[in-house]
Amino acid sequence: MKTILRSDELNCPSCVNNIESNLKGLEGIEKVTVKFNSGKIEVEHDPELVTEDDLLAAVMQSGYSAMVSPF
Amino acid sequence: MTSFNQLISLFKNPSIRKKILLTVSGIFILSGWFFLGVMEAPFTGNALMIFAAVVAGYEIIQKAWLGMKNSQTNIELLVSIAAIGGISIGIYWESAAVTFLFLLGGWLESRTLKNTRKILKNLVELVPQTATIVRGKETETIPARQVEKDMLVLVKPGGRIPVDGEVESGQSSVDESAITGESIPADKNQGSKVFSGTINQNGRIFIRAGKVGADTTLAKIIKRVEEAQDAKAPTQRFIERFARWYTPGIVGLSVISFIFTQNIELAITLLVIGCPGALVISTPISVITGIGRAAKEGILIKGGEYLENAGKISALALDKTGTLTEGKPGVTDVFSLQPQKVPVDFDEEIPEEITKNEVLYWAGIAESGSEHPLARAILTEGKKRQEIPDAHSFQSHTGFGISARYSEHQILVGNPSFMDEKDIVVDEKAFQYIQTLSEKGRTVVLVAQNGELIGGLGLFDTIHSNAASAMQKLSEIGIEKLVMLTGDNNSIAQSIADEAGIKNVHSRMLPEDKMKVIEQLQLDGHLVAMVGDGINDAPALTAADIGIAMGAAGTDVAIESADIALMADDLTKIPEALRISKLTLRNIHQNVVIALITVGALLTGVFAGEVHMAGGMLIHELSVLLVIMNGMRLKWIK
Repeated sequence: MKTILRSDELNCPSCVNNIESNLKGLEGIEKVTVKFNSGKIEVEHDPELVTEDDLLAAVMQSGYSAMVSPF
Repeated sequence: MTSFNQLISLFKNPSIRKKILLTVSGIFILSGWFFLGVMEAPFTGNALMIFAAVVAGYEIIQKAWLGMKNSQTNIELLVSIAAIGGISIGIYWESAAVTFLFLLGGWLESRTLKNTRKILKNLVELVPQTATIVRGKETETIPARQVEKDMLVLVKPGGRIPVDGEVESGQSSVDESAITGESIPADKNQGSKVFSGTINQNGRIFIRAGKVGADTTLAKIIKRVEEAQDAKAPTQRFIERFARWYTPGIVGLSVISFIFTQNIELAITLLVIGCPGALVISTPISVITGIGRAAKEGILIKGGEYLENAGKISALALDKTGTLTEGKPGVTDVFSLQPQKVPVDFDEEIPEEITKNEVLYWAGIAESGSEHPLARAILTEGKKRQEIPDAHSFQSHTGFGISARYSEHQILVGNPSFMDEKDIVVDEKAFQYIQTLSEKGRTVVLVAQNGELIGGLGLFDTIHSNAASAMQKLSEIGIEKLVMLTGDNNSIAQSIADEAGIKNVHSRMLPEDKMKVIEQLQLDGHLVAMVGDGINDAPALTAADIGIAMGAAGTDVAIESADIALMADDLTKIPEALRISKLTLRNIHQNVVIALITVGALLTGVFAGEVHMAGGMLIHELSVLLVIMNGMRLKWIK
């Protein structure tokens, strides 16, 4: 399953790495792409193992709030 | 207990936490100053400064730790080392200031960047949440995402259109500025295409849903703009490579400086200014804002790379049909053959314009029932000048013309051979008109009323009314060479080129020939843009450095494949697109210069002993903000 999160708080391109690593650290994550310019975070994951809330929590742990977005 | 939990949850929200940390640490710093400066109580003062550094540093150290766990050395790590180092050598207030300023800078950057990303957010918000659908005689309001293809949707005046589709009934004007960037509302009636996210202004319209949700033109635009913003410009890639070496380089420099000078303060000050903040943000901020600004005007630029290239274009080639011209015929000439009535007395003159209008009047009546493109053109022109009633009966003769009856009048409209066939006399005067018009590339249509030839019309694929001014603007913004490419013969091509003010004309071109012209221009050292529409332009569009598609609203292929897609069929958007690109390119350069000068000045200042930790951080954060502000100027800049 692919979930798209949006955060409009990203303020330095290096934070992208932090968010990516934090998300990749969760179980059930297949692919993570964080786009700095648009603030879009695309996650491919197994919804059985990791929920949308888990994803949001992981982003928050990296220091940013995000929202789930339809596209 | 609940309030404590609330506090905890507030603290978990990153942006609120940042604000709390900033306020608390700010208060500590202020009171620290008070104790240090006014009360002359260094112990309390320094303690407060350490508290301030710890509070502001909490967030920074956390991120540094995260980075280390992921085996990355990030900016936060440098700042943390500097702050801890500062405290250990007793420069407490500097440590407090560094952490506070770093946090404050980050917060301000987030806020301004949020503003920049808003353009996209506004686009997303254009899509209405609900839609009113019609089922038999009932209407029902449902969530917009549940609308399916072929459902009938009612949109009231002032409402937003929730789907792409076709007007089934009703009349209105629709503000399409969100899609096309055109400020003038477009008239819609039965059969007109409408787009999701546009605003219905004054009438009720019923729309048959065509595309919904992620398939709509607006959703595609949003997706495109976003991909464009994320596509890294060459400058951005270069800078990111540079930044990857810059930070470790500064750390190395700091270590070496310490070894040689044994000056720990100098070493940690270097760490503080080792953050390439302004540099890494210099390009993205301009690209995001420039692409967003263009999107707002109905210009979709595929990405930073294209933006940079478009800013350097020196030659521009245009296809003729459908690009410089409307791509459909319009009435360009009217001639009247009515026998001049001899004025009874001298004052009673019959102005020629009236008789020309009569020719259009009768032609219009005859064509009123026909769907032929030429018929549409004649009727449109006729209606501009007068009321045209519908014919009482008519018959089309495909390929020749039309015969019609209006009360007792018999009307014939068609080409010369049609008139021949109907035994209408085409005299020498009429023949001359036909010849002159044909030489100018016009399609000639003759008009006869009650068995007598009364005049004729010349039709031609008319040039866009703003073509000349658009070409003029292109020269003004520095396009050295304008070239027209067309498959048409030379006389037609030349007449259009003259009207548009284009000096270089290539006529009778096959698709490969167009491509060769582009390649020759590139060999001559030009960076070439090509504007086109049809499939026959595809090779040339691909060969050009920048391919521009016009009137892309509703055509997915153009939106997805063109380097620059102009949503409206408006030639003046071409100079506008190139101008925004040039502005953005200049903005990127300014930002890179600001960033490099700051870094250079800071390094010099540190080694000269003029810049210390707190000051270094302040200047660094100011330069980041300056770069962001400069980028944001692109939103309004004329």
